Order: sequence, then structure tokens, then C-alpha cells
Amino acid sequence: MSLATGVPLIETRGIFKSFGGIHALENVSVALAPGEVLGLLGHNGAGKSTLIKMLSGAYTADAGQILMNGQEVRLTSPRTAQNLGIETIYQNLALADNLDVAANIFLGRELLRGGVLDEDTMELESRKVLDRLKVNLPDLKKPVFNLSGGQRQCIAISRAIYFKAKVLIMDEPTAALGPQETAQVNELILSLRQEGVGIFLISHDLHDVFDLADRVTVMKNGKVVGSALTSQISQDEVLEMIIAGKLPRREVLTP
Amino acid sequence: MQSVKSTAAPPRRLLASLGLDARLVFMVAAIAGIWIVFHVLTGGIFLTARNLWNLSVQTASVGVMVSGMVLIIVMRNIDLSIGSILGFTGMFMAVVNTQLFSQNTWWAALLTLLLGLLLGVLVGVIQGTWIAVLGVPSFIVTLGGLLIFRGGAWLLTSGQTVAPLSESFQILGGGLNGSIGGLWSWFVGAAIMVAILWADVRVYQQRARRGLPNRSVALQALLTGASLLLVLAFVLVMNSYADPRSGLPRGMPVPVLLMLGVTAIMMWVVRATRFGRYVFAYGGNPEAARLAGINTRRLTIMVFGLMGLLAALAGAIQSARLNAGTNSTGTLAELSVIAAAVIGGTSLSGGTGSIPGAFLGAILMASLINGMLLLDLPSAWQNVVQGLVLMLAVTLDVLVQQRRAK
Amino acid sequence: MKRLGILSAVLGLSLLASSATAQKQVVVGVSWSNFQEERWKTDEAAIKAQLTKLGAKYLSADAQSSNEKQLSDIESLVTRGATVLIVLAQDSEAVLPAISKAKADGIPVVSYDRLIEDPWAFYISFDNKEVGRLQARMILGVKPKGNYAFVKGSPSDPNAALLYAGQLEVLDKAIKSGAIKNVGNQFTEGWKPEVAQTNMEQILTANQNKVDAVVASNDGTAGGAVAALASVGLAGKVPISGQDADKAALNRIARGLQTGTVWKDSRTLGTEAAKIAVQLANGAKLSAVAGSSTFNGGPKKVTVNSILLKPVVITKSNLGTLITAKWATKAEICNGVTGTAAPAACK
Repeated sequence: MSLATGVPLIETRGIFKSFGGIHALENVSVALAPGEVLGLLGHNGAGKSTLIKMLSGAYTADAGQILMNGQEVRLTSPRTAQNLGIETIYQNLALADNLDVAANIFLGRELLRGGVLDEDTMELESRKVLDRLKVNLPDLKKPVFNLSGGQRQCIAISRAIYFKAKVLIMDEPTAALGPQETAQVNELILSLRQEGVGIFLISHDLHDVFDLADRVTVMKNGKVVGSALTSQISQDEVLEMIIAGKLPRREVLTP
Repeated sequence: MQSVKSTAAPPRRLLASLGLDARLVFMVAAIAGIWIVFHVLTGGIFLTARNLWNLSVQTASVGVMVSGMVLIIVMRNIDLSIGSILGFTGMFMAVVNTQLFSQNTWWAALLTLLLGLLLGVLVGVIQGTWIAVLGVPSFIVTLGGLLIFRGGAWLLTSGQTVAPLSESFQILGGGLNGSIGGLWSWFVGAAIMVAILWADVRVYQQRARRGLPNRSVALQALLTGASLLLVLAFVLVMNSYADPRSGLPRGMPVPVLLMLGVTAIMMWVVRATRFGRYVFAYGGNPEAARLAGINTRRLTIMVFGLMGLLAALAGAIQSARLNAGTNSTGTLAELSVIAAAVIGGTSLSGGTGSIPGAFLGAILMASLINGMLLLDLPSAWQNVVQGLVLMLAVTLDVLVQQRRAK
Repeated sequence: MKRLGILSAVLGLSLLASSATAQKQVVVGVSWSNFQEERWKTDEAAIKAQLTKLGAKYLSADAQSSNEKQLSDIESLVTRGATVLIVLAQDSEAVLPAISKAKADGIPVVSYDRLIEDPWAFYISFDNKEVGRLQARMILGVKPKGNYAFVKGSPSDPNAALLYAGQLEVLDKAIKSGAIKNVGNQFTEGWKPEVAQTNMEQILTANQNKVDAVVASNDGTAGGAVAALASVGLAGKVPISGQDADKAALNRIARGLQTGTVWKDSRTLGTEAAKIAVQLANGAKLSAVAGSSTFNGGPKKVTVNSILLKPVVITKSNLGTLITAKWATKAEICNGVTGTAAPAACK
């Protein structure tokens, strides 16, 4: 699927955000179609992190709109974003190290029975979703701090999958992983795309982005430089956009 | 406990495979060792019903507060004001009990207690709000609280001791009329045993039915049996200490019942409620908790409010026990409570802590003081020993962590 | 040059002014160690009242528990025109430089309540060792032999040791003869009643309740010990001493739960100190102060001129004196005390 064929799954229009007089985002408009992987690129400080925090409800915009399926939504907290099906997997692996696997998957959305945590059901459901991702963890009652980076990333992803993410935001999902684990996560991304999940992928690794993403959007100094389909643009051209903020001279750009 | 980090050291691995918390086992062993040593040194006085009864009452005030302190420290905060809140609310209740509700009736005592608890919650919530909303470190806010409420305790009566309190209120302190008698102790003991049995069997069956991993039947039976025996022994000991007037068994002291009740409820809160889960999640990774949509401000305020409540309950116990409100009551209690929590495995860096561990920590510290007093050791030596035990406990922890990190 | 001129003019004026006041009026400068403690307010009122009576002026400074501040306080009191000083020392050692300075300026010093070991300072206090003796005598009178427990004061307070020394002095003979056995003596950290309670519980446990008398060093710790006795049904059966005439303790005495207390009327202390200060300011020699004797019982054994006031023993029989002296009201002392067992003061 692509943007040309219909209403975007999620879209920002003219977002502004500043912190103490510094413009973190200026007039940012991006769009994501269902089943599309959009690579979000740019230097540190280009505004990628601010943008995704906006989409995940951690920050609110000073001005501008966010639309889901063409309807304006107000993402006032992480909870409202989650309720709308926007799940975020953070670069710093947002897991509580001291809690067990099941507790992390259900963090903030624990299953209750009679007002009390339903540990057993959560353990069973965790087992199911991990099995689906082919993640093998023997003991779900163990704290996650002694798991490997890849296993932890898988827990973060299974959290998103369990709660039926429509939009998945992945901030450097493979930065801390070894090659084998990276392959595992990449495979997961592709299979999620198959299921119609829209994915924002933030990554430093251009190769990865070109392997996975349908499209890239480049940001610099809080502004969108431009967007292009990965099939129609070269890595060098994208690099030029990132470094110099220069647009390629061909008509490859998409909205 | 979910919260206590497990480790790869071999004896621990063995315990872990048995589904036991190594630290708790170690602490029980340490307490048993201390008790036996004192029993020998005191020529057979330490392990008498009377002294154990005393010990349980002497533990009550710290024991009531320590579970709240665990949550505070797990959330990467500290509360230095609880000794002062104890003194302030204790003094307040003494004044209320002598001037406002001075009738010697159970409802006057209860109203006094409720007003005191309310004051404690209020004080805690104010401090919590200050910390959570204004972003001032808890160390500073509660250091301020330490000074303010100690001053407040003085100002309530210009430093005058308020005494005596009504006999109904004194029940909270575990004095001559402050225990529930032999028969009721059996009832309470039986109720606890039934509850343990029911809960253990139910959990076991449920997990088995759903195909979740369980302990072996024999081990589970052993553990459940041990818990039941412990309750039985507790009731027997409490009932072996006689009331000097009638010669009838005293039974469980009210402050000890309060301490056990608070500990049980707090264990349940940590294990079974979202609130408890969120406290630990915040301690493990504050950012993760925030991003998971947890209202961390409200959480902080609630934890400090809870701490204020428990400090006020300890204030009621202390002033009822002393049969007086004095402005110095509870001075330095915050240090005993923090020490008990830390000895019980609560890490000051946050995220790690255990309610039963802290409870055992409180018993351990109280046992040390109790035994050294029986030996008539000078107070200077008592301080030295307490300090050494605290450092030893934390050092062991650090060593274990370092070995695990290798 | 001009500046120097002004300076000397001001200096000359102030010298003139101070010598003028010295002739006309006595100015008493009082340096308090920590005025936040309640009891000093009673002392201050007494000092002020007496000075007004004698036509002298009152100046004061509060060192807020700081040795350094007390030194500068004393200097500033002199600068403000004090012709005599009353010093409640925060630390009896650290205050010595200020005393030497006062001596150099010829300003007399009264060391108030706490000993300053410098012959220049006139020492007025209650006799703390005597308080200990009175406590012991009070108990010895009721229980001449048996097991004695001692609830001592704070280990960091030198008075606690002085009290204990006084107690032992009286009981020494009986202890040596074996009539009295010392079955437990614990310091009470910070004079905290709850600490005294736990200590007493453990002394009772260690001795299977065979404690016949308790010598407690003040009323707060006595309260804790009484609570411990009450919990084993011994309150009122075991004699116990105290000190300070706390209202709660007076009530316990009326109820028969405490044998007695030692009363140090700080108002007398204030009044006497004010009288001495004015005498000294008017040129009286230290040894010529009415009622003065010498004292060398301090740690360094320095001989100083002193007046040691006699504390008063309060028991059930003379509770009324405190009502007459307006120290406590009848309602406070007799709260809940009725019937035939009530002391005379409550009838």
C-alpha cells in the first residue's frame, strides 16, 4: 500500500514545538500509510526524537494537527496514544529492569481480575505472544535485567503486538543488537508490515533503512527536508539530504 | 519476591531452583543465629516467652513504618521526616485524647486514632506533592519536614509532656490491657493458618490447571507446613506470657497485630495491585514508567501519603505504649527505619526492595538492641554494634552484586 | 585625615556615652546558648523582673547553639554597653576566650547554670550532684534495701554523669554492705522516654521483675520507666524518682505512680543571678557576694566563687507548694485523682 491510494493511517500537519525558545520542530508534516515502513532520517538534533515523542503522546505540540485515518486526534498522554493503537519502542529500551517479562509486556495495562493483578493470565498471554514471535524465554517470572539486548527488544516489540498496534514507532530498534539479533528484529518488522501495521523506523544505519523501508523522510534542524520512495532514490542522495539539507534534482519526492 | 534480584552464586541458585528467596532465607538464618547467641549469653533469658513478647512489641513501631519506607526507597526517594511525623502526630493524638476525646471509651480512642492518621496522611501528601509537582528532591523536602514537624511537636504544647492517656487508647500500645488474650489469639492464629492454607492451595491448583510452572508438591507442602508451624509457634509463645494480675495468657499484643496486619497488606499491595507494580516499575526505570502511561506524580504523592499514614500509626503505638505524648518521641526513628529497610535488601539506588525482607530487618535490629540491653551493655557499644551490622549487611550485598557483574 | 578625625570623634563620644551609663545605670548583657528551649524563657522573665526592680537595663543575645556565635554575641553585648555579663555557656571550654576578653575590659561575668572554669566568672547554678543525692535519698527512704535499677540521663550530657555520681554517693554504703544491689544501669540516649521504657523493660526481663526500686534521673525518663513497670503490673509498687517537676510527673506523684521529683525553680536561679550581676557591676568583689562560697568540682578543678542553690524534693506530701508557687495548677496536678488515697494537695 502507499499514500497515493488512500487516506494516511497517521499524519501530522504543520507541527511546531519549541523548548525554551529553541525550535525543535518547525512546520513538520509527515504521513504514513497502513502497511508502510517509513524511514525517519536525520542527524542527532534534527527533530526525529521530538517528533516521535509527539506521536507517542509524551509531548504535546505547540501548534499543528495530528490525524489518524483522516480524523484529528489529541495525543495528550502516552496512555491516549496507546489507546489509539500507537505503540512506541524506544531506543533506550523502555523496560523496567527489575520487573519480570510478563510485567514488562503488560506495564501500564495490567490485566486485572477482581481489581487484583491477574498474574497467571498475564504470564500465559505473554507466553503466547512470545511464541508467535518465536522468542524463546524459559522463565517469564525472572526479572529482565539479565536478558540479552535482542531478547529485551523482542519483549518491547511483543508488548506492541499484544496490544494490537496500528502504528509502530521504532527508535533505533537494532542499535544495541548483534548481527543475528538484528536480523531477527528486521524479519519481525517485515512480517508486521505484512499484517498492515504502519511503522516509523528511526535508524542511523542507511543500509537497514533501505532494506526495510518503503519510503524515507529526512529531517534537518527541526524541519522536513523531503520524502522519497527508497526504490527511486540512491543512498548518496539521501546522505546529501541529511548532511546538507539539499534536495535531489530529480522528481522523486513524495508528499 | 519478584523484586529481589536473583543471582548466579551457587547456593543462591540452589535456593532459587527451590523457588525460595535466598536473601530471606539468609536473614532468617541470621536472626536465628543472633537469638541463639543471645540466649546463651544471657543465661537462658532471651528465648523466653516474656522476652519474645517484649521483643515483638519493641519491633512494632519500626515494623509498622518500614514497609512504607521500602516503597519510598524503591521509588528512588527517601523520607527523613518520619521520626518527626511520628512525634508530631503522636503528640497531636495525645492532645486530642486528653482534651477533645478524653472519655475512656473505644470510640473516643478510635476517633483520636483516625484524626491522627488523617493528619499523618495530610502531612505525607503535602510533602509528596512538593516533591512530585515542584520537583524538589525528596531528601531536601523531608529534611525540611524533619525540622518542621519536630518543631511542630514542640509547639503543640510548648514542650510539655501530655499524660496520661485514656485506658482505651493505651490498648494500642500493648501495655497491661493492650493484648487480645489467649482465646482470641487462638482465633486469630487459626484464621491466619486457614488463610495461608487456602491461598497456597488455590494458587498451586490454579497454576497447575493452566499449565504454569510450579514447585514440586513435596516442597510446597514443606513450605506451607513451615508457615503454619511458625504461626502456631507465635501463638503459643504469645500465650505463654501471663498477665501478672490474673495469671491468664496475655496473647498477641495489639501493636504487634497492627504490625503484622500492615506487613501482610503491604506484601499484598506490592504483589497484587497496580499501585505496587507501578512503584517498582518506576524504581526500575522512571522513564519507562512514564512512557507506559503511568501517572508518576500521583504515584509519588500516594507513596508519601502512605508513609505519613504509617508514621502516624507508629506515633499512635508509641504514645499509647509510653502512655504520654512527648515532643522528643521518635527522634532518629527515621534512621532505624531506613537501616531496617536496607538490611532487608532495599537498595538506595531504587527499584529493589522487599517487604518481608524489611520486616525481618526490623526484627533483626530490634533483637540486637533487646539482647544487648539484657546483657546490660553500655549504650555506646549498642550503637557501635548496630552501625557495624548495618555496614556488614550492605557490604555483603555489594559483594554479591559485584560478583554477579563479573 | 578627615576620616580619622570623625572616627576618633565617634570613638570619643561612645566612650563618653558608655562611661556616662556606667555611672548612671547597670546594663546587664545576657548571652543565651539556645533560647529555643522552653525553660530559658522562664529564666529570662525572672531575670528581667528582678533587673527592673533594681533599676538595671537588660540586653540579650541568642547563640543558637553555636560556640562561634556566642563569642561574637558576648563582644557585641559589650559594644552595646553591657557593664556586666550573664553567660549561659553553650560549651564551657569554647567560651573561655570571651571570658578572658571581658576580664581585660574589666567587665564582670556570671556563669549561669553551666560552669565556666575561670576564676573571673561567678558561678550560679543548682547543685546537680545534690539533685542526684536527693533522688537517691528519696528512694532510699522508702526502700532501704533490695535491687536498684538506674535510669541514667543522656550519655552526651555531663549533668547525667554528675547526677549518677550524686546518686551513688548516697547509696555507696548500702551497696558495699550488700543491702542494695545495682541490677541495671543504662544511659538514656537523648533523655528520650521511649528509650528509657525499652531499657526498663529489658532490665525487668533480665531480673525476672525482681527490681525493688528505680532511680530515674529526670521525669521524662521516669515516665518511660513507669510505663514499663505498668506493663508488668508493677506501677505504683516500685518506688521511682525524677527531676524537673514536669506536670505529667506531678500528676503521677499525685496518682501514686512516682515517689517524687526534684524541683529546681529556675525563677529563683534567674532572680539570684540578676541580683549578683548588679552587685558585681556596682563594684562588689566576687568573694564579697552575699552567700557566696567556693566551688572546685568541675572537670579541671578550677576554684571559682559560686552560689549553688538547693533543689527542693517534691513528694506526695508537699505537692501543694508547687500550687502555691504557681508552678502548676491544682487541675494539672490532680487530674483524675480522687478518693481517699488522694494527696492533701488534691483534697
